[in-house]
This record gives sequence, C-alpha cells and structure tokens, in this order.
Amino acid sequence: MTVDVIFPVMSDDDPTGEGVLGTWFALDGESVAEGQLIAEVQVDKVSADVEAPAAGVLRHVVPEEGVSNQGAVIARIE
Amino acid sequence: MTESATSTRRLSTAKAISEAIALEMRSDDSVFVMGEDVAAYGGIFGATGDLLGEFGPERIIDTPISETAFIGAGIGAATEGMRPIVELMFVDFFGVCMDQIYNHMAKIHYESGGGVKVPMVLMASAGGGYSDAAQHSQCLWGTFAHLPGLKVVVPSNPYDAKGLMISAIRDDSPVLYLFHKGIMGLVWMAKNPRSIDVVPEESYTVPIGEAKVVREGTDVSIVTLSLSVHHALDAAEQLAGDGVSAEVVDLRSLVPLDRHAVLESVAKTGRLLVVDEDYRSFGLTGEIAAIVAETDPSMLTAPVARLAVPDTPIPYARPLERFVLPTTDKIVAESKRLLA
Repeated sequence: MTVDVIFPVMSDDDPTGEGVLGTWFALDGESVAEGQLIAEVQVDKVSADVEAPAAGVLRHVVPEEGVSNQGAVIARIE
Repeated sequence: MTESATSTRRLSTAKAISEAIALEMRSDDSVFVMGEDVAAYGGIFGATGDLLGEFGPERIIDTPISETAFIGAGIGAATEGMRPIVELMFVDFFGVCMDQIYNHMAKIHYESGGGVKVPMVLMASAGGGYSDAAQHSQCLWGTFAHLPGLKVVVPSNPYDAKGLMISAIRDDSPVLYLFHKGIMGLVWMAKNPRSIDVVPEESYTVPIGEAKVVREGTDVSIVTLSLSVHHALDAAEQLAGDGVSAEVVDLRSLVPLDRHAVLESVAKTGRLLVVDEDYRSFGLTGEIAAIVAETDPSMLTAPVARLAVPDTPIPYARPLERFVLPTTDKIVAESKRLLA
C-alpha cells in the first residue's frame, strides 16, 4: 500500500497557495518509521515539520528547494 | 528498519540543539530555558523549538526584553543549584548585559574561592552574511574568550552542536555557546548543505576543548571555526583540483583552546592560514598565530596568513558585506599565496 505525504496547509487565507520544500531530512529511497521527522516546509517564511504518516520506503515527489502547493503530494511511502 | 532509520536520521543544527536540551531536561529537573521568544516561538533561530509543548512554561520561560534582568536571574538560579540555559537572542546585544556576563557569570566562581559554582549555559546567535547590518551580524567570540572565567564553544555542524550542548549543560563552569545563524539549517536563511546531517538519537557528548581535523591535508593548515569551516572545506575541495592538499581544523571551542591540535597540524604542513569571521585585530587569528610563534616558529615554511573581518563594522550592503567576510574564494587565494 502506498501512502501519500502531503504538504501541510499552513495559510488560512490561501490554503492552496505555494510554499517551498526547504529540507528533506529523510532521503529519497530511505526507510522511515511512522511519525519520524522527514521534512521541513515553508510558506511565507513560516516553517513547519512534516512527519511520516506511515512506515515504509520514502519516495520523494517534490525535490529539496522545490515549489509545491499546500495540500499537494510531496512524497509517497511504499 | 527502525535501526536503519535511526542510524541515518538527519537533523538540522537547530533541531540538534533543541534535542540536546530536551534530552538533558528529561534526565535532570534542574535544567530549564529562559530568554526572549524561546517558548512559543521556539527561539528566533529554532534552537529551542518544540520544547514548550513537552516541558511547559515553568521550564521554558519567555522573558521580557531585559537582558540584564534575565541573565542575572539565570546566574542567580545557577548559584542555587539549577542548570539554566539562557538565550541572548543576538550576541550583538551583549552590551546591555555585559556586567552580568563579565563581572558575575564569569567571576563568581573565582571570587568565592571556588565555593560557588555557576553551571549555566549562555546561548546566543552570531555571524553575518545575510545583510543584517552592523548590530546583528557580529561574531564577537573573541571578546568573550579574552576574558578569563568563561568557557566558549562554537559548533559548526549538527553532530557537534548536540554533543557540545550536552557537555555545556553538564559542565559546572559557565559556558558561552555561540551558534552561527548560517549553520542552523534554517529554510528561510541561506542554508549551508552541511547544516543538515546525521545525528544519533541517543544522548552523547562532544568534549569541550577538543578541536577536530575535518579534512586531512599536507600542504597548508586552515585553522578555523563555525561557518568558516564550511567555506574552508569548500575551498579545500577547489584547492585539491589545483593539486593543493589543504588540512582543515575545526577548533569547536575557543576556551579551552586546543593548542596541541593547531601545533600538530602546522608541524605536518608547515603553513598556517587562520580564518575567522570575527574582527581581525586583537582576536582569534592573532592568538592562533602566537601559539606557533611562541612554540616553534621554525616549523613554518611561510609566514602566517590571517583572514578575518577587517577592522570595520559589518556593512549592510551585500557586496560590501561579502567584501569584508571570509569567503571560499578568499581562502583559496590566501592558501595559494602561502604556497607561491
């Protein structure tokens, strides 16, 4: 089963607005545990942590420093 | 799978510092944090992120903008047996609280004949490179290392930042812990790629007073600290392409200073370049040069070179700021000059 990792919605005014994937703490192809810190994202200079929603192998969809919309898929866990 | 997730777990320096504090707070009730915006905001550069939720406002304390008062309160708590971690938001702000730092935090142990200890960590951000101008961009570690009584630690990466923070908290002496904003791994500030790295989840210490050779070489010793370590490593990589083998020594602590590590490296290479983002005169670069000069200047095959901020305030304008800061290009040029 594949689980999507979502860019968290951080902006009340613009919940699908763009943000930046600042840091991948967990690398592409790495095994992660559920709840593990895997990324830090940023919208308008406010950053938020992203934790793994499930255990498995992480597959990045959005690269580090890449732009993504809030609510969009940034990675998958297989 | 859990094991592999643990062994490769990466953190930013900011999160590594915060984790170090959390680990010590879990095992020692006398540890607490105090400072401007350390609680709800998690520290302006993230060094105390996520601590408020676990430990609550009794142990993670937001203070008014009154550095003399809250650093004084930290010193008082330390003399009564607590282990406070007090954050001075920017080291540049030391002026308003210097009496507490220089005359009390640093001297109570001495003046009480060793009877009263001050096991306190004063943590502050340092450094420039992001156009924050003359009052928010200084390093100033030399100013504090000059004064007897304080230990001064300056990590350059997440692993050392965690281990040095745990050592600092457990140390019975007052410790000044200076982190450069450029090594914190912050998304919103020009992020050095090495500011995100593997950090063990368990508790461990990095000894205060031990430098580390972070790249071995045979032609020139680049002795430096903090963000400049990364510029030096980048320079060493470039130099390698030109056939120059540079050794990079990360001092990690200024007090105590690992003189042996400096001498050992220079004895091997015969050439010394000291790189410091603090001011040039009366500072670290001269101190490191003096170690060699006082011990055995004959180990040098070229005069000592120093790369530091010229004696001017840090400019706001980006091109002028870059002109005064030690950069990779300047380290490459100075190294080649030593070999010419």
